[in-house]
Amino acid sequence: MSEEIRRLSEELARDPSSLVFLQLGEALRRAGQLDLGLKVAHRGLERHAHNADAHDLLARIRVDRGELQDAFDEWDMVLRLAPNHVGACKGMGYVLFKQGKLPEAESHLSTAATHDRDDASIATALRMVRRLLRYAHVASNGNGTPGHAELLAAQRRVEEEARLLFADILGDGEHTALLLNSDGLVAAGLYVTADGEDVSQEVGAALTGVRDEAVRAVRHLDLGAWKAVMYETDLAIVALAPAIDESMVLVAAGRSVPLGFVRRVLERCVQRATAWLEEVA
Amino acid sequence: MSASQFEGVLSLLIRQRGVLGCLVVGEADGIVVDSNVQVGVQSNVVAALAAALYRKARLCSAAAGLSTVGFLQLEAERGHICAIGRDGLVLVTLAEPRAHIGRIRGAMLESLGALA
Repeated sequence: MSEEIRRLSEELARDPSSLVFLQLGEALRRAGQLDLGLKVAHRGLERHAHNADAHDLLARIRVDRGELQDAFDEWDMVLRLAPNHVGACKGMGYVLFKQGKLPEAESHLSTAATHDRDDASIATALRMVRRLLRYAHVASNGNGTPGHAELLAAQRRVEEEARLLFADILGDGEHTALLLNSDGLVAAGLYVTADGEDVSQEVGAALTGVRDEAVRAVRHLDLGAWKAVMYETDLAIVALAPAIDESMVLVAAGRSVPLGFVRRVLERCVQRATAWLEEVA
Repeated sequence: MSASQFEGVLSLLIRQRGVLGCLVVGEADGIVVDSNVQVGVQSNVVAALAAALYRKARLCSAAAGLSTVGFLQLEAERGHICAIGRDGLVLVTLAEPRAHIGRIRGAMLESLGALA
């Protein structure tokens, strides 16, 4: 049990009617202790049945448990209590997206984006849904609401576009590029090791931490926005740069590639990623 | 600053165009071991943040299978942070946007031996 969870548990034990169960439930959710988190959320709701954030907590735990419809119903309750609740709009958009109901997902995510323009994850999700919708309509030749087959075709097209986004910039060179979203998940590109293994997600997740430290450093030293981080390792040169919606482009090249060339490739990849993301507003 | 074993390295770096300060920092704790900085540079803050950035890059690179980190450069709108580490110490340079990073990199690579 982490120190934070222990502290919050003790606080809740001292005052069972306090709202600290919201923090405790969230801490348990983040720690992956979903059964315990669920119990805490339910007990909290027994005392605070009309608290929108309590229902939101329960919905997020439900999603993590894979109980999408239960989560949706819980967020529906949140919106009855707090009609402009951004978390509920975002969550319902996510569930509808996972259920393939793209027009409804787009509607909820649009509402969430209207109320919180600074949340990069909402903007990213909205762009993805709108791109899929656009391609699904193309696949159905504009005849009515796209069906399952058209959605699958759209999904394949997006995946193919994303995989090949930097292909012509990189050519057959000894370098690779990824576009990572604000959560460090791979949005486009490919990172393949010398023995052919795709390690894009692993590399992306690992290197997102460098971005976070860079942002912290420039903020505290008043250096303005960060433009790039480049570093050399025994095996590679790694270059990172920000793109829109708090996403990040990563270029990795072999040690034989000149630093200046890596920098130019990075700049071109950022331009490409920005143009691709901005295709759908 | 005091005449430490790093004085020569720091004197070499601070003479580079656009360099505002250079420091030798403990990578694990971000504490200044020695420094040569211009007036107004908060050496303790630079040391802590640069060491954290370098340490994170080293750990993340290891996790990503990219081996040991050498020279690192953070470029921002109003300046650069350069860092290179060895044996638990990090040599850090804070520089203005006009600084010649190629020269600073060369000087820092040459100075790496002094960290041993």
